[in-house]
Amino acid sequence: MPLEILPSRRGHAVVKESDPPVLPVCGQPTVPGVISERACAFYGARWVLAPIPDVIHLVHGPVGCAYYGRNVRRKGYRLFSTNLEERDVVFGAGEKLYRAILEACTLVPDARAVLVYATCVVGITGEDLPGICKRAARVVGRPVVPVNAPGFCGASQAAGHDIAARVLLEHFIGKEAGEPVENGVNLLGEFNVQGDLDEIEALLEQLGLKLICAISGRASVATMAQAHRARLNIVHCRRTGHFLAEGMREKFGIPYVKVSFFGIEETATALRVIGQFFGATEVEEVIAQGIRAAKVAAAPFLSKLGGKRVGLFFGASRIGSMAKAFKELGMDVVLAGSQFGCQEDYQEAGNKVASGTVLVDDAHERELLEFVTYRQPHLWVGGTKERFLMQKLGIPFLVFPQENDPFAGFRGFVNLARQAAGLVSAPVWRLT
Amino acid sequence: MRLKEIPIEGVPYDQLRIEKVPAAPAYQPRDPELVPAANRALVVNPDRICMPIGAMWAVLGVHRAIPFVQGAQGCTTYARYTFCRIFKEPATIATASFHEDAAVFGGRRNLVEGLRNLVVRYWPEVIGVVTTCSSEIMGDDIGSFLKEARARLRAEIGPEKAEQIALVQINTPSFAGSHVEGYDRAAKAFLQTLATKRDTPHDRVNIIPGLLYPGDIREIKHILREMGIEATILFDISDTLDAPLEPPQRIPYYPPGGTRLAEIKEMGNACATIALQADAGGSGAVYLGRKFGIPAVAGPTPVGVAATDALLQHLSRFTGRAIPATLRAERGRLVDAMADTFHHTMMKRVAIFGDPDIVAGVTRFVCELGMTPVAVAAGTFSKRFGQEVEAAFAAYRDLFLDTPKVFNGSDLFEFEEYLKTLPRLDLIIGNSKGVDIARELEVPLVRVGFPIYDRFGYQKRPIVGYRGAELLLYEIVNALLDYRYPDDRTQQL
Repeated sequence: MPLEILPSRRGHAVVKESDPPVLPVCGQPTVPGVISERACAFYGARWVLAPIPDVIHLVHGPVGCAYYGRNVRRKGYRLFSTNLEERDVVFGAGEKLYRAILEACTLVPDARAVLVYATCVVGITGEDLPGICKRAARVVGRPVVPVNAPGFCGASQAAGHDIAARVLLEHFIGKEAGEPVENGVNLLGEFNVQGDLDEIEALLEQLGLKLICAISGRASVATMAQAHRARLNIVHCRRTGHFLAEGMREKFGIPYVKVSFFGIEETATALRVIGQFFGATEVEEVIAQGIRAAKVAAAPFLSKLGGKRVGLFFGASRIGSMAKAFKELGMDVVLAGSQFGCQEDYQEAGNKVASGTVLVDDAHERELLEFVTYRQPHLWVGGTKERFLMQKLGIPFLVFPQENDPFAGFRGFVNLARQAAGLVSAPVWRLT
Repeated sequence: MRLKEIPIEGVPYDQLRIEKVPAAPAYQPRDPELVPAANRALVVNPDRICMPIGAMWAVLGVHRAIPFVQGAQGCTTYARYTFCRIFKEPATIATASFHEDAAVFGGRRNLVEGLRNLVVRYWPEVIGVVTTCSSEIMGDDIGSFLKEARARLRAEIGPEKAEQIALVQINTPSFAGSHVEGYDRAAKAFLQTLATKRDTPHDRVNIIPGLLYPGDIREIKHILREMGIEATILFDISDTLDAPLEPPQRIPYYPPGGTRLAEIKEMGNACATIALQADAGGSGAVYLGRKFGIPAVAGPTPVGVAATDALLQHLSRFTGRAIPATLRAERGRLVDAMADTFHHTMMKRVAIFGDPDIVAGVTRFVCELGMTPVAVAAGTFSKRFGQEVEAAFAAYRDLFLDTPKVFNGSDLFEFEEYLKTLPRLDLIIGNSKGVDIARELEVPLVRVGFPIYDRFGYQKRPIVGYRGAELLLYEIVNALLDYRYPDDRTQQL
């Protein structure tokens, strides 16, 4: 491989040459001094928990962490912070936190619970977060739950996902009584980016299934308390979902399946697996109908995409299925990588990409730059941080998680085709 | 505040909009004890970010410079997101990548190894080492770490190359201040580390722009050009964060422009320093004054007629250059536009929030437009803010319909709750964080200040100088017209 790699990064980027492929080393701390694409554990926890609407999100730390945390997932909720200052750091801020919890509950009397997020500052000063939360909970009469995910813990934001999942499992899921719902399912690790969840729900409804709770795309305290009534858990994002699914299987005996709704074939497989579990008879018909409609609608875009090269770099458990979806668009996936993948993610991705594709974990800006100059992809898929740099190099960029329309399900596939075709053939690239 | 018809039948008003203006009978006021920020341990919807991001902003304005953030990855990632969203440009910021081991044993290894890795992959000319909460609490001795890092670089890449790379240490514990102070500290740190005095002073002027956008800095450059003044702008983000798209680019990618290292070293020889924002960058001007005896002024942000006049007079006084006819004509055009639009702006009640320097500048300008600033709020506490806005009020108080309320270092919750108690409000001027408030109160929002990320092009539109003020004026007037006279059938002229 002609890429110039820091010695400490060897093994993190591999070219698929065999089946089964050699997998990149993953789950390691980032090399200091690089322009990392990773975020911190606090970010991961915020990403998972931010959409829960009927709780107070209280960030125990300096106001900056709280401010940034509000930008995660574009929700317009109120943001609460203890705004730690110098004297709090020196003398401790336990009492301040206690008072802040009480004040927040006075200002939002109908909130069902309080989530208290720890930040790096609190992680280092070593505040007794659980003790203070417990004391406050007795006074405010509702759960006050510490989310102990200071930024430096774990190798990447994935650590925050796990911590958040543990919090949900321990304090929110299955807290109310209720009989099992015969056709009830949960979606775990589905965040409802630009309506993905609605697409998936519509498909499930066609199979006669009822979505009880989607964590955390549609997860209020009330619906999570009922989540144990489902008969099957559907794991969409492995990073959050797997942990939750395992926990719910142990606690409530609910079986789970790991599927993906990105791309035609993956969606069809997902529906087959779920349909088989419930013995739904209409599955094949739903699939056939969906595929037919999607192929007709996507056809005008596919002609623009055939043979074009694409690089993928985003959240790990999506890269496998997205790589397959881009193949269905007729594109060659030249790189599939992620900031925070685990072994299973790369296993799945490795099986789904063609020989010669680069698999990379935790690539930083310089590595990505070298890669694109070397392979000249026609499209790059990833997050906002990389977007403007790639465009400066003349490479069209698709932001994923997406900004406009859902990409999940059969109709989402058409949206993906439209976006990709529009971007690679954008007039701006004829003018440069 | 005009209340619209309730669009959904059969839904009680209080259920439709829970947090509504007090005009509705079912409005439940907040616990009045907890509305003032000073009474709370809690901050709700803050209007300030952390100190490191101000320092990163500054470093990104230096040619071939990269900020190195001595902290966990989030401290870098969040800032990169923020810059990308505001400027729609790449932001190259390195992370020290703190993990548990760093939290326990300190960040020495991360800094020494990190600087080495950064240098061999990017070959920057300047590295701004920006500290964070965690690094400050652990008590990283950055000074000695930097010596060690320098020694390692010397051994690895040779002493000559290693000495060429300037390392600037900027201490920014986030819990001790906001982004405004971060920028301020960066300005001082750069000048302390790099500026030197030779025996031959020249007639260049130092400009420290503060947290102004590329469009603003371009406007300042235009003024300097018109006056024939040579100047060093520290930190010049006008090209680094507004770069042209010209593929193919070389890698590693460095944007064009930025203040040159050689220029910063020369700043000790300038004839004067003007910090356009007293709170963001003023310390740098004060430092040069004390150390090298260079005359300095700090603020006000040149928004509007009087403040821009003041800037031109300072420039003229320091350099002996006359104010040219072209700039006088620009002033004339601004005043002409103010006369044209005055019947729309006069007696309008406006609320302004944001960073203290910007709010003070905009407040003076809206007073010049005959508007009444009913509430002005600085998200970051500033010692000067109160005096500055009071000075602006003093000249126009006879025209005010209400007494202005001044918030210094409060949060947006307190600001919003106060606005809800007012009988009438026409306009809000502030950053993107004001969208919710404007929607809630059903008044237009004019976007000014930091950060604006939900609309395009604002980073390129100046608000400083006569031309910037004219553009801002049009935006204010058009926002009012859009709201009151949405199409030509409702226009009387």
